[in-house]
Amino acid sequence: MTAAEITLRSWVRRAWVARIGVVILLFILWEVAARWWVDPMFLSPPSRVLMSLQAVFDTRGVPAALRITFWELGVAFAMSVVIGLVVGLAVGLQPFAQKSFMPIILLLYGTPQVTILPLFILYFGIGPASKIAFGVSHGIFPIILTIVAGVQNIKPILLTSARSMGASRWQVLRHVIFPHMIPSFFAGMRLGMTGVLLGVLLAELYVSTAGIGYFTTLFTQNFDPTRLFGLIAVLAAMAIVLNEIVRRAEAHFSRWHTD
Amino acid sequence: MTGETAIRIKNVSHHFGEESDARHVLALRDTSLDIARGELLCLIGPSGCGKSTLLNVIGGLLAPTTGTVEVFGKKVAGPMPRDIAFVFQENALFPWNTVFENVNLGMVFQGVPRAEREARARRSLEAVGLKDFAQHYPGQLSGGMRQRAALARALSLETGILLMDEPFGALDEQTRMILGEDLSVLLSRTDKTIVFVTHSLGEATFLADRVAVFSARPGTIKQIIPVDEPHPRNPDFVTSEKFTAIRNQLYGLLHDEIRKTMAETGVPAGAEHAP
Amino acid sequence: MRESRERNSRLASRSVQAVFLIVLVVLWYLATTRWGVSSILLPNPVLVVQQLWDILKSGEFLGDLRVTLTELGIAFAISATTGVTIGYLISRSHYRIRVFEPLFAGIYSVPIILFLPLYVLFFGLGPASKIALGATISFFPITLNTIAGFGYVDRILVVAARSMGASDVQLFRYVLLPAALPIILTGMRMGFTVALLSIIGSETIASLAGLGHRIVHLAEGMEMPRMFAYIAFVVVIALILNTIVSALEARGKRHV
Repeated sequence: MTAAEITLRSWVRRAWVARIGVVILLFILWEVAARWWVDPMFLSPPSRVLMSLQAVFDTRGVPAALRITFWELGVAFAMSVVIGLVVGLAVGLQPFAQKSFMPIILLLYGTPQVTILPLFILYFGIGPASKIAFGVSHGIFPIILTIVAGVQNIKPILLTSARSMGASRWQVLRHVIFPHMIPSFFAGMRLGMTGVLLGVLLAELYVSTAGIGYFTTLFTQNFDPTRLFGLIAVLAAMAIVLNEIVRRAEAHFSRWHTD
Repeated sequence: MTGETAIRIKNVSHHFGEESDARHVLALRDTSLDIARGELLCLIGPSGCGKSTLLNVIGGLLAPTTGTVEVFGKKVAGPMPRDIAFVFQENALFPWNTVFENVNLGMVFQGVPRAEREARARRSLEAVGLKDFAQHYPGQLSGGMRQRAALARALSLETGILLMDEPFGALDEQTRMILGEDLSVLLSRTDKTIVFVTHSLGEATFLADRVAVFSARPGTIKQIIPVDEPHPRNPDFVTSEKFTAIRNQLYGLLHDEIRKTMAETGVPAGAEHAP
Repeated sequence: MRESRERNSRLASRSVQAVFLIVLVVLWYLATTRWGVSSILLPNPVLVVQQLWDILKSGEFLGDLRVTLTELGIAFAISATTGVTIGYLISRSHYRIRVFEPLFAGIYSVPIILFLPLYVLFFGLGPASKIALGATISFFPITLNTIAGFGYVDRILVVAARSMGASDVQLFRYVLLPAALPIILTGMRMGFTVALLSIIGSETIASLAGLGHRIVHLAEGMEMPRMFAYIAFVVVIALILNTIVSALEARGKRHV
């Protein structure tokens, strides 16, 4: 084998190259299907979607809608983190509170919240408030649960050791429980972000007068798959970026974590 | 050894659980003992005989059902971080802190002023031979090094008493040997009073000034064997006749107790741990 | 050791839960009858129960329930079969796992419900779009778990079986499948739950029939008591379905 052949082989061997290859293949398939097999009313080829991306942004109200949605996500996430942290600590640190309230929390977490989406809209209106509320309602639960778990699964020997060295309750909380809980907290935030994305976007798709939900409905009703795809692609990209940010934060703060 | 009594244990017994409970167990039975200042006393005995329980009682982590413990004349009613430091078998270093931060944190808990902390930390890390690993995380260290770090943390608290609960129990034989020798050297330089719980006959004989042999559960001290050999103990001591004689004596005392424990629980010694 | 004390505290926390729920219901009743909370926001619980009874008695729920369950059933059937098959094929080689697994995990991290408008555009407002979306979303946990299950079977087991002369089919049936089954079953349970949620969700957002749609319809008509009744009904149905699926999962795991 020549040097060039070996290099080529080693490149294909790399999984990430193959992965990109698969993605490109899918795009080609999409392109072919959209151009020759499927009615253009229903499916738009990626090439056209890409080129029309600018048109999406030029559509009146779309950039504002994207900004509003992004803002809704941010507020919902921030609120979820704060509420989740407070409730999680309150429940996790007090064994009695934990035994009493955890089943209630788990019960709430297990119910299909999507059934009460219309209720949220009725209560909070069709503006951003209901989207934020629905997002928070999805985001707090993973955060609460992971914080409770993080506080609960601390090795008892660490607490005993601290006590034996004369640590006060506050010192134990600050120097032992809190640092121990941080990886769980960040894992919870990662899941919380997923929940917030789900909640806010669901609410947006349900009813929206100025948010992105308005435009998805508009593009759907006008049978405009090009711009619909474009908009959704932008939102998907937003979701990926937000998820990635939280994931990196988690990895950074969990460096010492071995389990 | 100055002859002054550091720890006075009077008629201590302890049971776990209420009388009516199915899991009620008398772990420790009417134990009394005086430990002199600067002495290294080993507690040895079969599993579940209450030696760890006694250690926790001495250290104030456990309130005995009956009896009292006095440390330097003061009655023990809870943890006494200024006087007593622990080294546990299970790794009790905080995994999110470096070795240095771990040692430092112990002093924060105890209340050592900031100005002194760094110097003390450096001293104790040097004493255990971890000077170059101060910035490592526990996860990056071997078991033996982690226990050295735990020891450094305990030493930095500069307490008069050190309570060690099978600190080398989770380590392999060779590491134990080295750590035991290093401990002996270390202790010869201080006048700390040490109570050391172990399963290993050889370890007890090598380290202790006296060995207290426990009976099977409910445990009490069966006999106390003195080991008259100055610290720091030479590694050669292990092969000497005196060593073998003492070790054999311990074996004789323990063997029946171990058998008794196994017969009672049907479980091999070492599988049960006193809380 | 502290058994009686533990029993007491368990009793105490159960009573806290019971009291909590009772207080909630009582507050609800008082709020709507005495304290003048608008019945547009919160209907009288008595009315809700009456409506629920009426729905059940008249069998009105059957039509929507059938639609939703059919969509769920078909969607799950599609995702389960394709998911397990594709997952197995991918798990056969470490290279393929390294290529595809991050791809799937990455796609799944995006809320796929986002693509609902596309599905509606393509399939219309009928059940087809719900089925397609449900199948798409539930495909991922099933596939990912199948890959994990088959792909990470302890090497030593495979080696041991091979050394005793096991053929490919035997290896699959007696080693790979039992080893992978618990994880696969978990994936299927997750897939089912997620399919149910996405189907109700898509019925809520864009549909002409089904339980989700029914609730929206009642909301638009401001028929609060009946809507609450349906919400309770759906929550109970979801609970029953999830319990059944969890029980099946546990049973399947026990026999391994």
